[in-house]
Amino acid sequence: MTAAREAFQLPILFLTVVLLGAIHIADRVSLRPPSLFGLVLSVMLLGLLVRSGALAPDRLMHATRPQLANLNGLTVIVSAVLAAAQAFTLVTPDFGLPRVLVSLFLLILLLNTLAASPDRPRVLRSLLVILGATFTLKFVVLAALSGPADGRLARVLQILFEGVTLGTVSQDPIHPATSYLAFATLVLFLVGLSLLPGRQAWPPTAGRSLAETPSGGAIEPRRRPTADEGTRSAR
Amino acid sequence: MSESLTRALGLSATVGYTALIAWLFTLQPQSMAEVTGGLSASIGAYRIDQPSFDDGMRLFRQDQFEAAVSAFERADSAKRDARTQFYIAYAFYRRGWGRFYHDDAWFTKGLETVNRAIAVAPNGRIVVEDPTLQMHSGDELKAELEAGLRRDLSDLNPLRLFRGRK
Repeated sequence: MTAAREAFQLPILFLTVVLLGAIHIADRVSLRPPSLFGLVLSVMLLGLLVRSGALAPDRLMHATRPQLANLNGLTVIVSAVLAAAQAFTLVTPDFGLPRVLVSLFLLILLLNTLAASPDRPRVLRSLLVILGATFTLKFVVLAALSGPADGRLARVLQILFEGVTLGTVSQDPIHPATSYLAFATLVLFLVGLSLLPGRQAWPPTAGRSLAETPSGGAIEPRRRPTADEGTRSAR
Repeated sequence: MSESLTRALGLSATVGYTALIAWLFTLQPQSMAEVTGGLSASIGAYRIDQPSFDDGMRLFRQDQFEAAVSAFERADSAKRDARTQFYIAYAFYRRGWGRFYHDDAWFTKGLETVNRAIAVAPNGRIVVEDPTLQMHSGDELKAELEAGLRRDLSDLNPLRLFRGRK
């Protein structure tokens, strides 16, 4: 990973996710910080990313790296956690039964993915599905059920639905601009996650670039030790 | 550019951006004018639009309160000037005042505005030396608006009909 990506691109991208994800447009514009539950989920996600190899923390912070580089690495990790918290807060409905159910859904899905120990591509695909599904639920399904009805029949159906669900499902109407902004925010977040430095397939040779290794960076096939090497190792 | 310089610049940019986001979360601006006004106010460079303020004062003294509020809001689009916000709150108070009952909607707006005026005033203290007003400080105006919104037995006192508008 280049210094520019670590110092500029990733922290600024994740902080932009925090900012854009916070914007809520209604009759007045407000900025909503990430919820506490979103922070809990984001810490779980960090663990998941590290476990799956989608994020290698030692490539961001390590004793052998210069102090400034470690500070850059820290900003990447902290901003990624905040962005994840904001993304989870964004896709969680504002109140009522849907909020409880989606929170549980997110928690169980993350625990399940942690238990499955998937690799990097699978974790990113899984996150795409989780965030995509919850986005659709909040900004398409619930918004359609809670938004102002176009006709009289739609209004009657809405009132009937509210009556059946005792008003526990309906949410505040969502301004279309908020939905588009949320979509862009989630895309940006997933792009940021895919840019995180992942676990390398093999440890690069210390002090030499991969191109300088005898194999030119390719994985060398395991070979049987020669008779001489075998005798020496036995001694 | 050397790697250390890139990293140092990146760190500064990240810290600055984080501070901006934290400031935005705290201020909760409603428009770009409020964002730019807030930024310029933080370095002491914010100025209201004086002609609009003068229009507002003229309309306020002619008891055209809604028009006065429009002019004041134009003058202080970033809502960072305590004196202008005080006059807006006062206009809401006078607009909502009634001998038999007060209009809660106007009083609520007035209370929100006077709270904002107090928040942006240095040390939270506003004193407006205007002889045409009967209340000169933000605290007096706030107390009057809160009293108008309160529901208690004094609302039934017939003598309140003889109270005048401040």
